[in-house]
Amino acid sequence: MLSGLAAGREVLFVGGKGGVGKTAVASALGLSLARAGRRVLLVSTDPAHNLGHLWDQRVGDEITELAPLLRGLEIDPARTTAQHLAAVRSTMERLMPDHLQGGVRRHLELARDAPGTHEAAVLERIAEVVEQRHPDELVVFDTAPSGHTARLVALPELMQAWTGGLMRRQERSARFGAALRGLQGQGRRDADAGDRAAADIVGSSRPVDQRGRRDAEIRQILDRRQARFTGLRSLLQDDARSSFVIVLAAERLPVLESVELHEQLTRAGMGVGALVVNKRSPADAGELLADRRAVEQRYVAQLGAALPDLPLHEVPLLPGDLVGEDALLRLASFL
Amino acid sequence: MTDTSPARRRLRSAAGVVRDVLAGPYARTFARARRDEDDLFMVIVMAEALGVPNPASYYTVELLPVVYDQVHDWHRRMGLDRSPLEHVSCC
Repeated sequence: MLSGLAAGREVLFVGGKGGVGKTAVASALGLSLARAGRRVLLVSTDPAHNLGHLWDQRVGDEITELAPLLRGLEIDPARTTAQHLAAVRSTMERLMPDHLQGGVRRHLELARDAPGTHEAAVLERIAEVVEQRHPDELVVFDTAPSGHTARLVALPELMQAWTGGLMRRQERSARFGAALRGLQGQGRRDADAGDRAAADIVGSSRPVDQRGRRDAEIRQILDRRQARFTGLRSLLQDDARSSFVIVLAAERLPVLESVELHEQLTRAGMGVGALVVNKRSPADAGELLADRRAVEQRYVAQLGAALPDLPLHEVPLLPGDLVGEDALLRLASFL
Repeated sequence: MTDTSPARRRLRSAAGVVRDVLAGPYARTFARARRDEDDLFMVIVMAEALGVPNPASYYTVELLPVVYDQVHDWHRRMGLDRSPLEHVSCC
């Protein structure tokens, strides 16, 4: 039971190839947990959002109630990036002379379209959502197709290394500065108060103060970043707090891709908790589908052989459109 | 206070001169090392403007407000005749 996987955990990721029914599985799981009394927040990070279609209501970049105890959110990375850059820009405009404003704007435009910015925005929102969730709420992330998700899970680690590198640059610079002051300032310590006052007036000690203030500010910005990445990373790598559910169809490529995704996630330190094989063909609905089922059976067996330790849930092909709570609860009964 | 006797004062200022002479080369070395670290830091923060795609731009822009006043000296030292933050060269 997937509900067992959710018990006690803070975050579940639902991922897999496009079109296998990730959103449906995530929604069905969320709804059945909410019905059982657990607070759930469903978050779609897939740029091709369909949470709204499935619930037949508008879900956007603001948290929306979908059902009692169940909330939904469709992350919009472009909007997140725009807000982030606007905040930086207003800070810059307060600080900077007018003739530099044009350059800053252009620089921020470059940053907006830089490779990685979109990912960074998604990551930022994932971190925010997790930090701001209700204490007893389960966050279920309905993620984009496989490769993207594995990278997202690896990203906090990469970014942590990156900010760590910048911090070391900064620390080394500060240390050289301290050594420099040690050499120049030894005389200062035994200078009398009059000398110090004079130095203050002349301003010879000001650059040091300014420099120190800036160092402290840079440090603070990097520290904040580092703390956020570290927090997210330790959450994702803690099997007791988070887990990953791989959804797939019983076909050749999705099986191969799921085994690959499992490997990538394991490498990134994230635990995979379950497999969901969706849309299994029925044995009793004509020859065509029965034949298909036999073919699928081979792939399910192949998957079971490749990942023997993982619980595997099979969901039959369901009739009609998967819209509304009844349809979702029906799907949930197979999870 | 024996501290302020003329002989002592002379001695102390002589010691100061000796110290400056000895420490000077070290101070220069530290200053240069610090500047190199700072320049490298700037290169990372300004990567985008130099035409180097930086996967962490989203985060480096947060540092811009803190370092922008160093951009001018930095781009001169880097041998760029135009500032990446300027639409006309600032010199």
